[in-house]
Amino acid sequence: MSIFEKIRDIIADLLDIEEDEITLESYLIRDLGAESIDLLELAVALNSTFNIEINDDEIFLKTLRLYLTEAKEKKEDTSSYLAVRFPFLEKKRIEEIMEDLEKGPVIKVKDIVRYVAFR
Amino acid sequence: MKLTFSGNRALILGGTCELGVFLAKEMIKAGLFPILTYRNENGCKNILKQLQSVKGKYDTFYLDFTDRLSLKSLFSGIHDDLDFLVDFAQGDFEDLVASANCDAVYRYFEENISFRAEVLKMAARAMLKKKLKKQLKKKYEKKAGESRARLVFISSAAAIRPNPGQGFYAAAKLASEALYKNLGIEMGSRGITTVTLRPGYIDAGRGKKYLQIKKDGALCAVPIKKAVTCKELTETILFFLSDSAKSFNAVEISMDGRLTSGK
Repeated sequence: MSIFEKIRDIIADLLDIEEDEITLESYLIRDLGAESIDLLELAVALNSTFNIEINDDEIFLKTLRLYLTEAKEKKEDTSSYLAVRFPFLEKKRIEEIMEDLEKGPVIKVKDIVRYVAFR
Repeated sequence: MKLTFSGNRALILGGTCELGVFLAKEMIKAGLFPILTYRNENGCKNILKQLQSVKGKYDTFYLDFTDRLSLKSLFSGIHDDLDFLVDFAQGDFEDLVASANCDAVYRYFEENISFRAEVLKMAARAMLKKKLKKQLKKKYEKKAGESRARLVFISSAAAIRPNPGQGFYAAAKLASEALYKNLGIEMGSRGITTVTLRPGYIDAGRGKKYLQIKKDGALCAVPIKKAVTCKELTETILFFLSDSAKSFNAVEISMDGRLTSGK
């Protein structure tokens, strides 16, 4: 099973939804309806399944808006600033996230997959 | 009444105190597996001495509230396998608010509140991990019972009725009560629940010494004119860990003969 398939199964189980509703492009919160307690369960399940330490702030991009403010205050390039703090995200994805910020929580299933692969 | 339990591994924080050891003995009788924490070698020796007749039916781990690494070692040592937690741990610190050493105050709150928050985070995640494993097993094997976990915080009547000099102790207890309460509110839907007990004068440990010095004077303010016994407290804790008490959650319960609710 691929990392994505394992993660898809976990999410389906935790959120009680069908596996085929979950794609790499699904928004965890906006599309799948995950709440903060679901994210906590997901972090614990990922830790257990892949035997890796999970930093909730990193994997769920909880500190994204804080870093955006910091980058602005320090007058640094936002993309580069975020790339250092979220090293598992590709530059293209960071740009995509920045364009998507106004629409709500940006975390997608593919970000979780990238985090696990990176760790 | 015969108590039943959903799970059997119980972590006792502050396991070297008289109540901790007494509770461990009662837990073993009830079929639970207590894991007692100690802060130093003497504490460990005390546990081994007190529990020598039940060797192999409990475990011990080092945990110092000033040492965050000891917390990681503890959870790694117990392999995140945890169903219950009973928290007796509390540092001593008595001084007047207007005269206490500020560095000591910062240290005290870090050890007794911030560290406890980290303990709760790790315990809740370990309990959640165990629950998720059971959930998965249930999905594939179509069995396994309801999964529950319970944390019991032993606070104190002094949290809401402190004497002069107990302000920091009371503040740490109340802050810890708030952490336990919120954990129960946040995790209750996942079967992880909390209860806080606020015993009044206890006829054990430091309480026993205090009662011996004050004699009946201390109990004058207690309507039922008696202290809580070690046996009463441990039986109450066992009840709150049991399936019979599963509807309690995120609540503080006074066990002080109405000491704190009268004038």
